Amino acid sequence: MEQEKFDIWMMEYLSGELDENRQLEFENYLQEHQKRKDDFDTLSVAWNEMDRAKIPEPSEKMDTAFFDMLGSEKEMKKHEKFSWFLSLQSYFGPIRKPQFAFGMLLLSIGLGIGYLFNSNKSNVTEPGPVIVNNETEKVREQLVLTLLAQPSANKRLQAVNEASKLNDANEHIMKALFTTLNHDPNINVRLVAIESLAKYVENPEVRMGLVKSIAMQDSPLVQIALADLMVALQEKTSIDSMKRLLQQPDIDKTVKQKLEESINHII
Amino acid sequence: MHQLTDNALMLKVKSGDLDKLGLLYERHKKRLFGFFYNMNGNASTSEDLVQNVFVRILKYKHTFTGEGSFSAWMFRTARNVNNDHYKKYKKEAHQAELSSVEYKLEDESRLNAKMDKSDEIGQLSRAMNQLPPEKREVLILSKYKGIKFSEIGEILGCSEGAAKVKAHRALKDLRTIFLQLETK
Repeated sequence: MEQEKFDIWMMEYLSGELDENRQLEFENYLQEHQKRKDDFDTLSVAWNEMDRAKIPEPSEKMDTAFFDMLGSEKEMKKHEKFSWFLSLQSYFGPIRKPQFAFGMLLLSIGLGIGYLFNSNKSNVTEPGPVIVNNETEKVREQLVLTLLAQPSANKRLQAVNEASKLNDANEHIMKALFTTLNHDPNINVRLVAIESLAKYVENPEVRMGLVKSIAMQDSPLVQIALADLMVALQEKTSIDSMKRLLQQPDIDKTVKQKLEESINHII
Repeated sequence: MHQLTDNALMLKVKSGDLDKLGLLYERHKKRLFGFFYNMNGNASTSEDLVQNVFVRILKYKHTFTGEGSFSAWMFRTARNVNNDHYKKYKKEAHQAELSSVEYKLEDESRLNAKMDKSDEIGQLSRAMNQLPPEKREVLILSKYKGIKFSEIGEILGCSEGAAKVKAHRALKDLRTIFLQLETK
């Protein structure tokens, strides 16, 4: 056996790391190898002598010092949990405390005043948009009625466009739009009037007015536009109006075909 | 029972249950004190160093993973504490050594006369003190029951086999110094 392997084996034996079988094996090996046994005997004396070395008991002072340290560490940990302010303070450590406090005070006052002004302003301005909206609506209604009376088709187109911007059209506007739809000489104005009135189809009177208007139209484009709207609304009461229109002798072929399709769709 | 193992207790300390460090202290204070006392021969300094070990354990508790044994981790810390202490007081220690040498030279005959040569315990202590610190520490660690060579290897930063070889060489040197002192 190599010397180093034996040295390792010896240390394992001396330190008690060998199990019983390996211990016996080691002891037998020593019986058979006298020189190795001499080496072992020499070193085992020194090894065993080490056990006799006297080590004093540590004093109570050591315990006291340890538990004091542990106690203060626990205290520190407790403080750490609630000391975000302290850490903030240490962050601003270089700033002199009175200056920092004064700065914080000014900031708080500024924020307070800002909040106060802001809240007052919002109280005052809250009804503002409603009033403004109401006023705008009134002005727009007046504008629509004025523009519809204009001889220029462009002005009347503008009037119908303005009418479609109204949130809730009143009776005057409705009447004016139906008058435009049924009597305006310009086809484009009448077509735009259909688009504007289509916004109020939830109103039964508007639907009725549109149905009646079908028979009153002489322009194929307006007739087709109304027929499409009726199909979209699935308005069954419009069938009679469309049938009446079909009976007219000078009806356009395309319109006739479109009306028949529309009637079929609604039925 | 698992909850009471060193590793389990240390993991609790790591997670913030600092009270468990008290249990670990009670378990290991004597061994640690013995380690330092064998290294420096001064009880008061050894007590301070034991305290330093536990301060460091608290400071570096986040580095304990629980994969190795707590004893190995603790003694590795103890070794670092001892090395730092040795470096810090190197000059003082060196001066103290010089004065002790002078003392020896001046009063060697008187000391020898007073010394009881049959006092093998004292002889052994002197032999231990003459061993280099790295050999002394491997012998001290290998004498502790419960610390296996695999852990000593972990503490010293070497393999298990290398730790055994180091311990054997240190023991051999100790024996040689011991015999030299005996023949004086």
